[in-house]
Amino acid sequence: MFLQILVNGVVLGCLYACIAAGFSLVWGVLNVINLMHGSFIVLGSYLAWGAYHSMGVSPWVTIAIAAPLFYLMGYLVQRGVLNRVMAAPVLVTLTLTFGMDLILNNAMILAFKADYRKLILDPPLGTVAWGSVVVPVDRLVATVFALVLTGALYVLLRRTRMGRAIIAVRLDRDAARLMGVDVPVTYAAAFGLGAAMAGCAGVLLALIFPISPLSSIPYLGKAFVVCVLGGLGSVPGAVLGGLVLGLVESFGAMAIGPEHAVTLSFALLIGFLVFRPQGLLGKRGFE
Amino acid sequence: MNTAGERAAAMPAERSGELLRIEGLHSGYGPVTVLWGVDLSVREGGITALIGSNGAGKSTLMRTVSGLVPARAGRIFWRGAELRDATPARVLGLGIAHVPEGRRLFGAMSVEENLLMGAYLRRNDAAGVARDLGRVYTIFPKLKERRRQAAGTMSGGEQQMCAIGRGLMSAPRLLMIDELSLGLSPLLVEQLVDALLALNREGLTILVVEQDVVAALEVSGTAYVMDTGRVTQHGESSALLADPAVRRAYLGAFESQGVSTPRSGTIVV
Ligand SMILES: Nc1ncnc2c1ncn2[C@@H]1O[C@H](COP(=O)(O)OP(=O)(O)OP(=O)(O)O)[C@@H](O)[C@H]1O
Ligand SMILES: [Mg+2]
Repeated sequence: MFLQILVNGVVLGCLYACIAAGFSLVWGVLNVINLMHGSFIVLGSYLAWGAYHSMGVSPWVTIAIAAPLFYLMGYLVQRGVLNRVMAAPVLVTLTLTFGMDLILNNAMILAFKADYRKLILDPPLGTVAWGSVVVPVDRLVATVFALVLTGALYVLLRRTRMGRAIIAVRLDRDAARLMGVDVPVTYAAAFGLGAAMAGCAGVLLALIFPISPLSSIPYLGKAFVVCVLGGLGSVPGAVLGGLVLGLVESFGAMAIGPEHAVTLSFALLIGFLVFRPQGLLGKRGFE
Repeated sequence: MNTAGERAAAMPAERSGELLRIEGLHSGYGPVTVLWGVDLSVREGGITALIGSNGAGKSTLMRTVSGLVPARAGRIFWRGAELRDATPARVLGLGIAHVPEGRRLFGAMSVEENLLMGAYLRRNDAAGVARDLGRVYTIFPKLKERRRQAAGTMSGGEQQMCAIGRGLMSAPRLLMIDELSLGLSPLLVEQLVDALLALNREGLTILVVEQDVVAALEVSGTAYVMDTGRVTQHGESSALLADPAVRRAYLGAFESQGVSTPRSGTIVV
């Protein structure tokens, strides 16, 4: 029983890490709290659902399509809209992403209705069992993909020219400009990466959770809590924060009932904001 | 260190062309104008010093040349071509590297990552970048020892080496260094100056802002004195060193106060 809950928590945690990594990147580098992040995730889920049920494209393939598609969308949103107000106080970008989220979310409600949909793989992948621990295979694969995506983001930030530019801009914008880094383009790349992570996370989540525009707020909430737990602006922080949240929710649901899981995670959020606002791994730079 | 002025003065004739010329430059921040018509010229192959009291606008001048701060009036020429309003990337690409005041390393990145950031624009020149990385490690062996260490955890002197190395990684023709010796021990300063003199002998042109007026005038061939956004004096460094007015304004204060001039809390962007 304990093992089952532990495994459930880890699975959930990896998915949360994937949800939060892009949100954390955008917040940490651009100082933009992207309220569209939840809707990007839902949009990714719809993409997976549509691709599977109307064209028979498997979600694992859809990920490869979603990543560049969402990157491009994020890149354009940043270049065309957000870059115009980057110098403004954070409240301005917050309001702007709030407004854009309303538009995006309502467009999804118009297009897909608010009822829940489900991506059901046919044939189903079944379950695997180790002793008493049982895990559905689709969940397991989604978890592995979530970890791979998050790891890929980390490697991209640490090892590529673009990633180094993003980190440099985050650490010292003017010094980065002196190195020849084009800051608006780098912002757009970072926002694009955040959107790509959201879209891919959405594809994975479509395998596990019902799809509805109404899910965007809970997803955004998870991303927010994970960032506060793990510390802003680091991929390992997002992984740690995701795992902590996943475990707390899964053990909490067992101890005090699943209906209180959300309450528990927000209690954790408030606790951290009061006692450890820098998060578990709060430090500067993506490490 | 003392013979440097003579060395710079004895530059070969073919290297005496003008690299950078600034005419009537106005610049500032928001509503504040800091530079009120600066004229300055940097000759190729030389070491030019920029001295002046706190808040005179030395850093602002460098920031305006490198494109961090937009110019408001006046002109900047780089090897005869208009440079004003160029982006920092273009300025760097043309061959002007700026080692900013306070070093401004990427503290959470390793030394080597910092150096590679200096070569950010040379994306299609892997061989040249590798060669220059080796050259920087030869000039500053300390940096090679610490290549994997986070730059922010090093001592001030090592950080300044890293900042200069990062500037060299763009393979510049002109290296602008703001506050070379700030907060460093005399021994370290001497090491850095020796390294810069060697680079200068190999053809690197240097523009340096320096609080230690005596050292600056001894090392450089030409010098400019700035006060409240204007150039008040310029000429051969040896002549300025002997000038009673300069001695009274800068060296007098310098001598009477001991080691170095006091620094007011300057805001650095
Ligand atoms: N980012 C900024 N915003 C507004 N004013 C600034 C800014 N940076 C510098 N200043 C002002 O511009 C003036 C010139 O500053 P600058 O840093 O260029 O002088 P400096 O000669 O380099 O001085 P120091 O020797 O102290 O480094 C000062 O009055 C300073 O307060
Ligand atoms: Mg200065």
